[in-house]
Amino acid sequence: MSAEAGAAPDGGAAAPGTEELGKVRRPRAPRTAAAALVATVVLVVAGALLYDVIEVRAGRPARRWRAQIADELATRHLDDLWVLVGAGAATLLGGWLLWLAIAPGLRRWLVLRPYGGTTAAVDRAGIGHLLRDRAAGLAGIDHLRIRVGRRRVRVALVGPADPASVQRQLREELDRVGAARPLRLDVRTAGGRRAGRGARTEPADGTESGTGTESGTGVAE
Amino acid sequence: MVVNRVLLGVVGVLLLGAGVLVLAGGLDLYRRLGAHPPHWWPLTSPDQPVVSARSRGRWVDSAWWWPTVIGGLAVLVVGMAWWLVAQLRRTGLSSIAVPTPGVSGLRLRVSARALEEAMETGTAVLPEVERAGVRLVRAPGHPRLRGAVRLTPGGDPAALVEHFEDGPRTDACRSLGLPELPADLRIRVLQAAPAEPRRRWRRRRRRQSRVL
Repeated sequence: MSAEAGAAPDGGAAAPGTEELGKVRRPRAPRTAAAALVATVVLVVAGALLYDVIEVRAGRPARRWRAQIADELATRHLDDLWVLVGAGAATLLGGWLLWLAIAPGLRRWLVLRPYGGTTAAVDRAGIGHLLRDRAAGLAGIDHLRIRVGRRRVRVALVGPADPASVQRQLREELDRVGAARPLRLDVRTAGGRRAGRGARTEPADGTESGTGTESGTGVAE
Repeated sequence: MVVNRVLLGVVGVLLLGAGVLVLAGGLDLYRRLGAHPPHWWPLTSPDQPVVSARSRGRWVDSAWWWPTVIGGLAVLVVGMAWWLVAQLRRTGLSSIAVPTPGVSGLRLRVSARALEEAMETGTAVLPEVERAGVRLVRAPGHPRLRGAVRLTPGGDPAALVEHFEDGPRTDACRSLGLPELPADLRIRVLQAAPAEPRRRWRRRRRRQSRVL
């Protein structure tokens, strides 16, 4: 721990951003539920098989399910539909379990810059709430849609407000949150994105946002 | 937990490997792609049963086969039972050891519940905190504090981290004399005016689609 802290400034002198990033470890999900589920399934299957094998060794006949499965496996060929379906399902399930094993998980949480011995993560939806509350105090926004991703925040706004000034305000709010890896912020007007269709179907909205941009800057600042 | 990830990965790789092997044989991929697997490679032809008579009878007559199968299954059952129990076990601690410098022969432990309650009340009175819960959990190396904090609308997560570090955590470390007691916080922020804008958006979109 102390060795890492001592070594960090050397590398960090050249690139302070990477030094900050390298120090913050992303938390990894413990995968308790998936592990419990897989353990239960394997336990049941292996336990039943073990019981039956011991019974057969003790001289009793095999249970019907085991005889049937052995029979199917011995007679069905590889190009049988059920064999292919089963193999496909096994492939998908195996790939998913492998993904669970490798991916860090906890995608809901964004890591904040550590302070002393405290590491913290904030809910992504919580960042959306903060941005929405900040935007609620700005003039000229009729509607706002905020999507908080893990690397960037996308804001689509409808209204006469100037996107640049809204972006400035929201940037300030995002910087206040203090995420360890800074989030990118995209602010765009919904009218601008759908200009081709919106102009025809909603002429009132189109003219409003067109004339409003000039006055919007004055209102917002 | 690293064990969970390793075991999930092992089960996943086994399933994936078996599935791909059967699929490759069943769809006759080797011939279509012109690949020539080595002669010991299993399941190469679509006309072959999943478990051929030859592979069925290969080891059954050997004296070691059934003891090995029973032993392997028994080990698997015991291992899976251990793994399952490890998941169901609580991650919490009942108490934490407190150093007693200068006094020999005295071992002191503080109840985790007392520490958790002190931390919770200490965190709940910090500015902008709506609700706080703190647990002491086992972690590799040293016990950790794990806090779940809900902030009032507009609350400042970065300020909360600083207040928590300088207030309750430092106090706890100092009063218990612990050299380190790392903490993880999970912070949520409430919304001032929920649901209303979203409903308006949906109505607007519906109207728009009807026009189109």
